[in-house]
Amino acid sequence: MEGTAVAVCEILKYLIIHWRCETARISKGALLEGELVISIEALNSKHQANTLHCVTTIASAGSIFGGLVLKKFLKEIQSILPGLSAELSWTSEETSYSQDVSGVTPFQMIFEAHEKPRTLMTDSLVIKNFLHKVITVLPKIRFNFSVKVNGILSMEIFGAENEPTLNLSNGIALVVNHQHYVSTPKFGTTELLCSRIHPVLGHPVMLFIPDDVAKMGLLGELILTPAAALCPCPNVFSNQLNRISSASIFLYGPSGLPLILLNPEQPTSTTFKDTSYFINWKKYHLCMVPNLDLNFDRDLVLPDVSYQVESSEGDQTQNMDPQGQTLLLFLFVDFHSGFPVQKMELWGVHTLLTTHLSAILTESHSVVQDSIQVAVDQALEQHHQAVKAHQKLQASLSVAVNSIMSIMTGSTSSSFRKTCLQTLQAADTQEFGTKLHKSFHEITQNRFLHHCSREVKQKI
Amino acid sequence: MAFAPRGPEASFFQVLDQHRASLLAALRKGGREPAGGGTHLATSSEVLAAIENVIQDIITSLARNEAPAFTIDNRSSWENIKFEDSVGLHMVSHCTTRKIKSDSPKSVKTFALILKILSMIYKLVQSNTYATKRDIYYTDSQLFGNQTVVDNIINDISCMLKVPRRSLHILSTSKGLIAGNLRYIEEDGTKVNCACATAVAVPSNIQGIQNLITDAKFLLIVEKDATFQRLLDDSFCTKMSPCIMVTGKGVPDLNTRLLVKKLWDTFHVPIFTLVDADPHGIEIMCIYKYGSMAMSFEAHNLTVPAIRWLGLLPSDIKRLNIPKGTLIPLTKQDQMKLDSILKRPYITCQPFWRKEMEIMADSKMKAEIQALTFLSSDYLSRVYLPNKLKFGGWI
Repeated sequence: MEGTAVAVCEILKYLIIHWRCETARISKGALLEGELVISIEALNSKHQANTLHCVTTIASAGSIFGGLVLKKFLKEIQSILPGLSAELSWTSEETSYSQDVSGVTPFQMIFEAHEKPRTLMTDSLVIKNFLHKVITVLPKIRFNFSVKVNGILSMEIFGAENEPTLNLSNGIALVVNHQHYVSTPKFGTTELLCSRIHPVLGHPVMLFIPDDVAKMGLLGELILTPAAALCPCPNVFSNQLNRISSASIFLYGPSGLPLILLNPEQPTSTTFKDTSYFINWKKYHLCMVPNLDLNFDRDLVLPDVSYQVESSEGDQTQNMDPQGQTLLLFLFVDFHSGFPVQKMELWGVHTLLTTHLSAILTESHSVVQDSIQVAVDQALEQHHQAVKAHQKLQASLSVAVNSIMSIMTGSTSSSFRKTCLQTLQAADTQEFGTKLHKSFHEITQNRFLHHCSREVKQKI
Repeated sequence: MAFAPRGPEASFFQVLDQHRASLLAALRKGGREPAGGGTHLATSSEVLAAIENVIQDIITSLARNEAPAFTIDNRSSWENIKFEDSVGLHMVSHCTTRKIKSDSPKSVKTFALILKILSMIYKLVQSNTYATKRDIYYTDSQLFGNQTVVDNIINDISCMLKVPRRSLHILSTSKGLIAGNLRYIEEDGTKVNCACATAVAVPSNIQGIQNLITDAKFLLIVEKDATFQRLLDDSFCTKMSPCIMVTGKGVPDLNTRLLVKKLWDTFHVPIFTLVDADPHGIEIMCIYKYGSMAMSFEAHNLTVPAIRWLGLLPSDIKRLNIPKGTLIPLTKQDQMKLDSILKRPYITCQPFWRKEMEIMADSKMKAEIQALTFLSSDYLSRVYLPNKLKFGGWI
């Protein structure tokens, strides 16, 4: 029996695929733009103890689902969610709306289910993570998600409309604001002035399809494109952040939809527990172990696969300092058939990918790993160059400050020394030196931040 | 002052004396004092104050939360250089500049190095000690990277502060040589007499030399060390006494140029150049006479527009029937250099020089001074130079 979370996510996927196909017919490569409202209203069941009667509403704010035929939609949803023990209904515009759902236009669907409170809580987290994952590649879609349990309302809006992005092809754009991927409190008092990640795109590779999967009628090519980035930005940071401490992998299918629906109560796929599946970590003198500690209750996009670093045997340079950088790896799988892709065809591809992901990736392991390795190498090289540039800057500033101090302290002109102290509002030469260093640091960091934030849009 | 009187008779120098007189008359006419004196150098306190002003500007920028930057004149840009007959090539008053910013990844290191060298100069001036450019480089060779970086920054500082480099207490290692009728006392008290069998190195601190004494009737600048040594071996300075010979061993360094300038300013002795009849030799001669682009900001202290071209003239090749087998065809680089020199602003006021260069361009041939040895081994010192000097064969 599918729960509310699975139902919501599948319905949303279906809607987004439909929306994608309709938009592509008008403007290929355009980003999907619009708002969807998801609300769950739960009240204690009158018939079952410790059970909530949940009414879930999915609605669009605006006529974004033109071309959606009601009967066909319901039939297809029922076939996708056969185990959904709920009533699926469609309301027209004349129906009255819940006062918690604002700005609703003609499209609205409601289904009901009975769930334990704990299950609803888990469902809520799963849905939130799904929504968050979607908006990081479809930034112009806004989700308004609310849960009302026995009158107590909690609401969250997911959207990244005004955030910096890296444009990819085929209508998706990766949000590059690092706060979606790494929590800043981790870095304590370390100043992080650049809030972006700078993904490096790898070369696209065609995935080999296992025979038994191909027999399911896939007529086209699956192309995987990796993107690697270090988080936070290595360009402007403290000296402490100079090594990788973890790796997070995100898998997206066609139309920018997540391929894995994470659930805290389900273990990670055994395939991905093999830490060398995607990357040969030995090349970087890193020893990775799976990170099974996925905290859903955080304001971050949870990775589909997470590894953390342990120090290699005999490698004394790696220490166990929890601070460090995260290697982010985004794997985008797209579908090309040479013809305009139809909605159900795309839905079929998505289903195939979600159910046979491990088999498909295993079949193409070598080419996938090569492509990922190149992207990671470039990201690390970028990091290395940034570290060098930072060190060069620090060294230069140190020379500049010491030179000024040498002249200032060596001068026999009391008026000159006095003027220097007064200008920086320093009481003595020691304070003057400190303020001098700080001033230079602030000015150069601002400049480097500006340089860093200029994003070059790339297309595959 | 008396030197060993082995030179020619007084009548030999008649044309030279006339030449000197005309030079002095030209100076008086131009409103410049014929009596030589030193050029104005910044005092130590002026240099220290200039550096302190730079530091204050930087700190003021920081206090305003602005990134400090140095504004440096573009020394090596023709658009910033003009020609004056009495001075040579020198920088225009309002020239284009470039900024060395402290907040630019590309220039922050240069910004820091300028400050580093400024702090070193500050200490040198304060303690009244001197260091060579090489010394500066070796204080932290890893930081500076290479000598050229140090050299360029020192020149930029000199230009930025509008202070001659020697006032910065930075000396350059000299490679030039002097020989002949000249005596002086170096800054450390060492007495130097250039009238000896072997030549004397051009001192590192020209500003510091004192008690210059000479009776020289002329000063001969020799392009190449090989020619200089040959003339020494032939006792040219003795035979043509009283005279002075100088060589910069090719492109002259700053000290050699400063010495030539100092001798002109002090004694107004006629100065002649002996260079190969090729574009490179002509260019070297132009550096002594009109200055270089790189040092144009110090032109007033370095150039001697009164210099005359004695030889080897392209017209001498035909006149003396120098065997064609000793001539060398002009290379493509030679042609380009010759064309470049012909286009320079100072050639327009030197019609005879232009004519000689046109002869060279037409013949497409060049000759080294050593070509004269094909006439006889000592033709240069025994015949060529004495005749040129006696009969005014210079342009």
